[in-house]
Amino acid sequence: MASTAHPYSKPAKAHEGHHEEEQDMREFLMYDPKPRGEMNQMVMESMTTTSWKFWVVFGILCVLVATCFIYAWGYMIAEGLGVAGVMRPSYWGIFLVNTVFWIGISHAGTFISAILRVFKAEFRRPFTRAAELMTTFGLIQAGASIFMHLGRVWLFYWLLPVPNQRMLWPNFHSPLMWDLLAITTYVLGSTMYLFLPLIPDLAMARDRSTGWRKTFFKILALGWRGTEGEWRHLTTAMNFFAFAIIPVMFSVHTIVSWDFAMAMRPGWSSSVFGPYFVLGALHSGMGAVAIVLFIMRATMKHMDYFIRKEHFDGLGKLMLIVTFAYSYFFFNDYIVQWYGGDKWTDILLHWLEEGPMSWMFYQLILFNIVIPPLLLWNKKLRQTPWLLALIGLMINVGMYWERYLIIPVMLTINRMPFTWKLYEPRIELFLTIGTFSVFLLFYMAASRLIPLIPVWEVQEGQMTHSLRKVGKAEVPTVSEFE
Amino acid sequence: MSDTTLLALFEDIDPAANAVEKLYEMGITDENINVISGVPIAHKMLGRPHPVTNVSRLALGGAIAGFIFGLFLNFGTPYMYFVPVGGQYITPVPPGLIITFEMTMLFALLATFLGVFLDSYFPNYRPMEYVAEVSDGKIAVFFRCPPGEDKKFTDAMDNLGALSVQPAEAQQL
Repeated sequence: MASTAHPYSKPAKAHEGHHEEEQDMREFLMYDPKPRGEMNQMVMESMTTTSWKFWVVFGILCVLVATCFIYAWGYMIAEGLGVAGVMRPSYWGIFLVNTVFWIGISHAGTFISAILRVFKAEFRRPFTRAAELMTTFGLIQAGASIFMHLGRVWLFYWLLPVPNQRMLWPNFHSPLMWDLLAITTYVLGSTMYLFLPLIPDLAMARDRSTGWRKTFFKILALGWRGTEGEWRHLTTAMNFFAFAIIPVMFSVHTIVSWDFAMAMRPGWSSSVFGPYFVLGALHSGMGAVAIVLFIMRATMKHMDYFIRKEHFDGLGKLMLIVTFAYSYFFFNDYIVQWYGGDKWTDILLHWLEEGPMSWMFYQLILFNIVIPPLLLWNKKLRQTPWLLALIGLMINVGMYWERYLIIPVMLTINRMPFTWKLYEPRIELFLTIGTFSVFLLFYMAASRLIPLIPVWEVQEGQMTHSLRKVGKAEVPTVSEFE
Repeated sequence: MSDTTLLALFEDIDPAANAVEKLYEMGITDENINVISGVPIAHKMLGRPHPVTNVSRLALGGAIAGFIFGLFLNFGTPYMYFVPVGGQYITPVPPGLIITFEMTMLFALLATFLGVFLDSYFPNYRPMEYVAEVSDGKIAVFFRCPPGEDKKFTDAMDNLGALSVQPAEAQQL
């Protein structure tokens, strides 16, 4: 559909300066529109075109899931938690590190989709769904990790407020109970938020598919036609979700931080843990989005049209801001404890700086605080997809170490030195590989089953963007259609 | 003889808006016109009335229900399943706020989601009037016209630049 706003059209070559401006504007997706039918075709081809390399990676992941996830978990259920490395004093091990890590990853989807939608940041449009998928799949891994940590997973319903013959009742004073409710709210909320804007694209895919795909899309599209009423209900709901999911997102990771901060334990009892955890989650989530966008662009057909340097640039700026904010809270948390004068906290901080796990501590500082701002300040570097993905990978490694230091390492250094024993993960390592494999497998499967690009949102954006003549220059203009 | 439903397909918003205006001039009322598009188009661009939605009201209703449920979990159930723990209040307020907040948001989000389903009559797998070109960016204007006047309306739509005008047929989506 042609836009009522005038999309970019090539002006007559007046002079060289004009020409340069034209080249610049063409780099932006919003000023480089294609007919909707062509964009639909590109997205459908990206879903249906699969190379042998895809199936090789898919096969390897299936094997990893079968062995490191299903078999390893089954073995642990059969043998009991004794096959894991958790023992006094570190009863909380990698399972909870993974839980916090995956919840952190999940924050990126909500941040990019909801906050950027609220603030009408237009560069978000082509990759909101890729980020939202990370939220849903990340939360599934977080849930699986909690169930692994439970050990006797078949008794999970004891967590729920369900009357039973043993007169057990959950303690609502406990942060673990808040966790259950907050994560449940977040999983359901983010999945619904993923699904709603997907409906029109599923209908588009339904209209262009045959065979089993047609049936699949037909069921999921729910009978969507695109009437005025349907659009009105959908956009109203999406606006509500965009605002409502933000406090839920903040609450989830704050509550996760309270699992630790509510305990009077060296390293944990901190009043800034809430915002520190939220920023940490955004930090790792943004990094993960950079990795996903790089892989999508490099491996999926036509993605270089939808995901461009401008998107890496925008994401890089966000990563830079989040790095500064994270660094601020990291230092705030550290310096207050350092000045606190508590004997056990001093010992813990010394342990972090000079103990056997100090390499993690320094890598965390290097990967999360030092390197990102040194590179992300530069526009050219921000616009280099592989470099941004590499920075994202470093941030995620650093954030994983951070959670490892907070959970098993800080549990090691407690007020009873005779219990000090460094945690050594055992079957947890396989299960960690398993959760990562499940996440990647789900993502790869989703890339073939649902349109990863929200085509209607991209087209809507292209319709609202135009170039307006002001004096002798054509300036980018964005209209408000709502 | 019953009314005929015609489908006029347009390339762009402008001719579609002109077509809607023309239909009004020709005596077709709002409830006999429906516009289908591949992107959300503001009602004022087409000169159409503001579509009514109950989603906001349902969201508010869900939030109220969730708030009450949260209060019940916090301040009701501990007395039904009394578990006294030394030195602790049975129903402390600060932790109660957290549970109440989460339940309020959960119910509000669920109600919003279900609101879309209820208002849009989803899922709906019955045959419906539709053309697949809509998802390619075209705009379809469906309207019911009096029997025997198909030709007059078809000509009017053609004059306004319709790509095609044809009787609308329900099809399995």
